[in-house]
Amino acid sequence: MKTPLAFALAAVVLAALAAAPLFIPDYWTGVLLGMTGYVALATAWALFSGPTRYVSLATVAFFGVGAYTVAVLNEVLPYPLVLLCAGGIGAAMALVVGLSTLRLAGVYFVIFTFGLAELVRQTVSWWEVNVTYTMGRYVFLPFEGRHIYWQLLALAAVTLLISWAIGRSRLGLALKAIGDDETVAAHAGINVTRIKLMLFVISATLITLVGAIQAPRWTYIEPSIVFNPTVSFMTLIMALLGGAMRLWGPLVGAVPLFLLFEWLSVSFPDHFSIILGLLFILIVFVMPQGVLAKLEDLRGRGKP
Amino acid sequence: MSAELHLSHLHKRFGGLVAVRDVSFSLAPGEVVGLLGPNGSGKTTVMNMISGALPCDGGSVKVGTTDITRMKPHRVAKHGVARTFQLVRPLPTLTVGENVMLSLAFGKKRHWGREARDLAEEKLAFVGLEGRGGEQVGNLTYIDQKRMEMARALASEPDILLLDEWLAGLNPSELSIGIELVRHLQGQGITVLLVEHIMEAVRALCSRCIVMSAGEVIAEGPSAEVLARPAVIKAYLGDDHA
Repeated sequence: MKTPLAFALAAVVLAALAAAPLFIPDYWTGVLLGMTGYVALATAWALFSGPTRYVSLATVAFFGVGAYTVAVLNEVLPYPLVLLCAGGIGAAMALVVGLSTLRLAGVYFVIFTFGLAELVRQTVSWWEVNVTYTMGRYVFLPFEGRHIYWQLLALAAVTLLISWAIGRSRLGLALKAIGDDETVAAHAGINVTRIKLMLFVISATLITLVGAIQAPRWTYIEPSIVFNPTVSFMTLIMALLGGAMRLWGPLVGAVPLFLLFEWLSVSFPDHFSIILGLLFILIVFVMPQGVLAKLEDLRGRGKP
Repeated sequence: MSAELHLSHLHKRFGGLVAVRDVSFSLAPGEVVGLLGPNGSGKTTVMNMISGALPCDGGSVKVGTTDITRMKPHRVAKHGVARTFQLVRPLPTLTVGENVMLSLAFGKKRHWGREARDLAEEKLAFVGLEGRGGEQVGNLTYIDQKRMEMARALASEPDILLLDEWLAGLNPSELSIGIELVRHLQGQGITVLLVEHIMEAVRALCSRCIVMSAGEVIAEGPSAEVLARPAVIKAYLGDDHA
């Protein structure tokens, strides 16, 4: 498809999605909201972790920090400034984490990022209990579901736009090369550390903003809610299902999985975690490269 | 323009093992020089120190007048030094053309877009892979992967090219193609340092040779003369043959 046509189509779909809350019941706006949140999370996650294959389980660390920033600052600063602060804090945290960890490779990076999420959660809990004496905070912002949804929709669109732009630029090529072989990439003239750091910060900042924007939805926030590790795992599995190396991959994975999880958590609240685990295993076994690659594969095989 | 490569008193230790001891030599612009020696004599370590893959424990590396001793590989690359690897290292998620475009995009001149695509095609044509930029790397034969790696190295538009056993593992007809390719480079004024075990190639290509053994330079001079020296024969084949 030609680029202008694709953009026009994307704009039409975006407009239709933005208009949807005016015509559908509130419950479905809520579903759309959650789904858009995960589309943004999975796409942002795949920006860095897709091509470089540095699997990060720190998603919820940034997500939670975003939500907490809003919880702490929402009565002190005007809302746009609160978002700006959240983004800034997420970026600064990603910079520090990135500088200290991007030398780790493979499974060590995975474990570190998982540990980081726990560390942040425990630190926030400790601080709230021992310093501020408040376990749990209230977020009172005059937002309805659709307001939050529109913000998330805009953020998801921006995330996709960033992913598209990177994919076309030399940066995208560099990221793929880094994922394949960092030594070769460095000898081709790529500043491997800087590019990894840059992408990690961009990705983490977007993830932090998703958390920040979603915060008003809970009204009441405490560490076990916003630092729930399931968020990291869901984001990861959605991106993998669709294909983390492709622009639309995370979206293709996030939409059906979110709907499935929503249905499962309503229909089988007690067995939700077990089914989730089985699903993870199934996806990794059957489609390690993601749905989109699988489809291409099948189409390719169909030809003589 | 070719730059000269100067190594002086290069030194490298791995724990208690001295891998490279006090190695000094220099290459004149446009020269093709062989770096020889038995396995474990420190040739690849020297290559790695030039390209920045390994930090030096002592000594210095200069390209022209620029000191590149402490530079990381990506900065060394920008100073006009390119290399191939002992075991061929293609990037499998990129196509053949993208492998080459990578060095164009991040090399000295940072080409991109249509210009980069055209130049990549030109480099591929030079190594004999004309019109094959769209192929998957995994589908290439061994010699073609080596060709692609050469095209990738050339795409950064280097003044100095380090070829680490680039001709190893080729069959006789591929070998003569390979030799012909390296000879073409010479015609373009690129300075080449060639780590090689295949004497046929060394005699055909290198006007001058440097021989290392146990981390030290034991001989240096015109190829035919150096290869006949007793110390060199002894290093390769043992006392009985010297």
